[in-house]
Amino acid sequence: MLNTIMKTMGVSTLTKASKGSLVAIAAALLVSYAGYTGLQSHVASQAAKPAASTVRLQETGSTLLFPLFQAWVPAYKKVAPNVLITPAGTGSGVGIQDATSGAVQIGASDAFMSNGQLAKAPGILNIPLAISAQQIMYNLPGVKQNVHLKLTGNVIAQMFEGKIKYWNDPQVAKLNKGVKLPHLLVSPIHRIDGSGDTFLFTTFMTDTNPVWSQTVNLGTSVTWPQVQTSLGAVGNNGVVQQAQKVKGSIAYVGISWLDNGLKAGLGEALVQNKAGKFLLPTPATISAAAGQMIKQTPKDERLSLIYAPGANSYPIINYEYAIVNKKQASPAVATAVRNLLLWGISPTGGNKQMFMNKVHFLPLPASIAPLSRAQINEIK
Amino acid sequence: MSMVSPNRTIFQSGFTANKNKRRSISLLFWSIAGILLILVLGIVVLILGTVVYKGLPGLTLTTLMTDTSGIAGGLENAILGTLVLIVASVVLSGVIGVLGGTYIAVFARPGIASVLRFATEVLAGVPSIIIGYFGYTVMVVQWGFGYSLLAAAISLGVLTLPYIVRTTEASLRQVPKTLYEGGLALGLTQEATLRKVMFRPALPGIFTGLLLAISIGLGETAPLLFTAGWSNFNPTLTLVHNPIAYLTYVVWTYSQEPYHAAHQLAYTAGLILVLLLLILNIGVRFLQRGSSQS
Amino acid sequence: MKSSSGFSKFFKVATGIAAGGPILIVLAIIIALLIDSIPVFRFQGFSFFTGMSWDMGNSYSTALTIHGGEKAAFGASFGILPFILGTLLSSLIAIVIAVPVALMTALILVYKVPAPLQRILSPAIELLAGIPSVVYGIWGILVVAPFVQYNLAPVLLHLGTIIPFLGGPIQTGFGLLTAGLVLAVMIIPIVTATTRDLLAQVPKLPMEGAYALGLTSLEGIRFIALPWIRRGLLGAVVLGWGRALGETMAVLMVSGGAANMPTNIYSAVTTMASAIAADLDSAMNDYTNMSVHAITGLALTLLVITLVTNMVARLLVRIGRKSSDMEVQA
Repeated sequence: MLNTIMKTMGVSTLTKASKGSLVAIAAALLVSYAGYTGLQSHVASQAAKPAASTVRLQETGSTLLFPLFQAWVPAYKKVAPNVLITPAGTGSGVGIQDATSGAVQIGASDAFMSNGQLAKAPGILNIPLAISAQQIMYNLPGVKQNVHLKLTGNVIAQMFEGKIKYWNDPQVAKLNKGVKLPHLLVSPIHRIDGSGDTFLFTTFMTDTNPVWSQTVNLGTSVTWPQVQTSLGAVGNNGVVQQAQKVKGSIAYVGISWLDNGLKAGLGEALVQNKAGKFLLPTPATISAAAGQMIKQTPKDERLSLIYAPGANSYPIINYEYAIVNKKQASPAVATAVRNLLLWGISPTGGNKQMFMNKVHFLPLPASIAPLSRAQINEIK
Repeated sequence: MSMVSPNRTIFQSGFTANKNKRRSISLLFWSIAGILLILVLGIVVLILGTVVYKGLPGLTLTTLMTDTSGIAGGLENAILGTLVLIVASVVLSGVIGVLGGTYIAVFARPGIASVLRFATEVLAGVPSIIIGYFGYTVMVVQWGFGYSLLAAAISLGVLTLPYIVRTTEASLRQVPKTLYEGGLALGLTQEATLRKVMFRPALPGIFTGLLLAISIGLGETAPLLFTAGWSNFNPTLTLVHNPIAYLTYVVWTYSQEPYHAAHQLAYTAGLILVLLLLILNIGVRFLQRGSSQS
Repeated sequence: MKSSSGFSKFFKVATGIAAGGPILIVLAIIIALLIDSIPVFRFQGFSFFTGMSWDMGNSYSTALTIHGGEKAAFGASFGILPFILGTLLSSLIAIVIAVPVALMTALILVYKVPAPLQRILSPAIELLAGIPSVVYGIWGILVVAPFVQYNLAPVLLHLGTIIPFLGGPIQTGFGLLTAGLVLAVMIIPIVTATTRDLLAQVPKLPMEGAYALGLTSLEGIRFIALPWIRRGLLGAVVLGWGRALGETMAVLMVSGGAANMPTNIYSAVTTMASAIAADLDSAMNDYTNMSVHAITGLALTLLVITLVTNMVARLLVRIGRKSSDMEVQA
């Protein structure tokens, strides 16, 4: 076949092929394809005769929310058989863009839209569907997995800035008395694809390190400090794989990948919260942090939950958003979107423990759910 | 004679003196070449082995017959989506490509032909991510196609078009121009001459070009990421606002998920892609062998 | 008769329009990219090409960076030199590795491997060309990157004293070298297949004559076969290079993805094509749209580099053709 490519490119000339067999093959391909699709449509029409009011909904966006949406699809089919949902993981930025431009009905994003973005796209809602978190993981030979290192945001920031070069740096040692820290270079690992995880992490860094906001700042994709030992990776999977390989690495990993990280032998850090306590992300500490932020959550629900006050609040958590245009193409579509999202945030629907456990998300707190519901009901 | 023989002896003696050295250099060269050949074959085995080893456990009838659902499920929607996408794109690029190739080979003046040929080559050189990016900004967003069969098929069609133009042109050029002129001289119409005298012998070459286009379209990801979207359902023939599933998406996206079942699906999709490719490859080779016998 | 000639005319016009397809598409792409990237050239000026910092700025800040009359997110600067270098270096490494390997593989296949075996081995190698690039990416992560980190790089390090670019530090297996290796594997089948086809066209007579004169098989290749195929070989190399320049997914997965200037052959880099794929999403969060303009500018630059490469190749081939014609005449 390659010959043919080369020949096509004019490198040499094409030989004649025997046309009889060629036509036969082409015909066979066509017939078998036609047969297959025919069979398919037959099977499809036999299996489910969708009602006349079939509505197709599309979701694009956050790769962190993608598994949750994927898990919802088969369950929601039983709730509303006439609504066909097709989610796709494209990244939050594309999700926001698509929902704004009308390419899809629902965009998914780990980050809420900025004021600037919203000014350009009036009528777009940011609706929290669940709560997610992020853990800090490291690869330190000699430090057992059940010994969780204590780290502060400021120390982590200095590692990513290249100011703390070795793991046995006095600043790290001071936080971890009694742990024998190896003299090992720190290799900070960051995401290179645009990512909500990066947004959360850099927000935390900005909140805890005075220099960060003037140098790196926050965003889904930032310019990382030029550190000799720093590394990039694609996706949370890539981060975990990279961290597993590189001794002395430290990385921020989405909570859905916690099991993978632990299985890969990575350590999970106790991260200092605003009240000065060191915590792991657990359902208790995540919901404690969320609880602290309930009162501050505005009507449009655009709020950073990073570095929440409260003794038992894990510092790196966030709302996972559905980005939806208030005005949908038709009342039927609007109804379908409304019903899906209402089901999604319902504790007996998409916020059920069985869905949340799969991705390690937390359900929307009961006191936040009404805000989301109010926003969902604006969809017309 | 007396002039030639001393020269010849010098030549020969110089040759024999170095002969052993030259022989061993040659031997060394071939040894290295042999090692490299084994290395390249080793890489082939390694890649195919990795794909088969990782993908085979998930290759069951259920996988082939069920849709992707949740974090795993089957691949039926992706397999059918890939087929629909490829048929649609090859119909597009096939019609335009065969017609265009015909123009360049038969009708165009030499100057114009070389310009058009150059443009075709330029298009073949455009990186697929740029075609995808163009497809997204122009078709998906600006023209409002949304993620759709149409946007994806056009992107793939643009990608494969130059190959079809070139194979068509090359196949037609193989037919001697005198045949065409002879046909006209015999009083056949231009159309009949083309059809009977030019296209019949060129047909196998043109078909090979189409198969080639299929094999190129099969493995592409970059131009589809932002044009095809993704769908959990079997493809329908609605052209716009109708995302469609394809196999390379499964490889790319599901290999990045945190679940073992998702990884398995990605590996299996990779295996199916390689198998489809193998079938196409064997098909083309079968045709070429047939041609060398005739 | 009349309707038939009417059809002929219609057919001719239709083929003409279709033949204009590629040129129209290329022009449409270039014009669209050009128009959409003007703002970033105004904002960044020529330092778009020479700048070493790629930063989309803080899209959550209400402050703006304004330059050249154009607004961008606060702190934004768009310099694509690291991507240009990453692209050129990774494809260069790929070519340097792939061409000798492919050439020698083709030579031994044609001249030493028995024909029945060759009929099996050649297609096997060419199968590599069709493997989807995402599959290459996964293979690169699972196999090549660890191999580079633990086996290849420690050996190459010793050469670091002679060639500084081979010196450490190694960091991980993800970087220039791994990207170059994966790209090399992707283009080896292209170059091997062409070379094999070209060698098959080398006339038998001069080669046999050379052997009869006492030349070794290597010398026969050097003096007769290689000059014969030089032109076509160059075309194949450039074709392979073109593929390496534009490859997106596989490189994205193994290049380590740093937007920094590479300091050695193990450095994590990003190529232009993979930067487009990786950054498009974040760029869409920039409400000033400047990041998207910058991505468009990046795409335009990549397109121009690929096109120039293709044209230079055509030129070289033309020159090569002339000189080889002269050789034949002489």
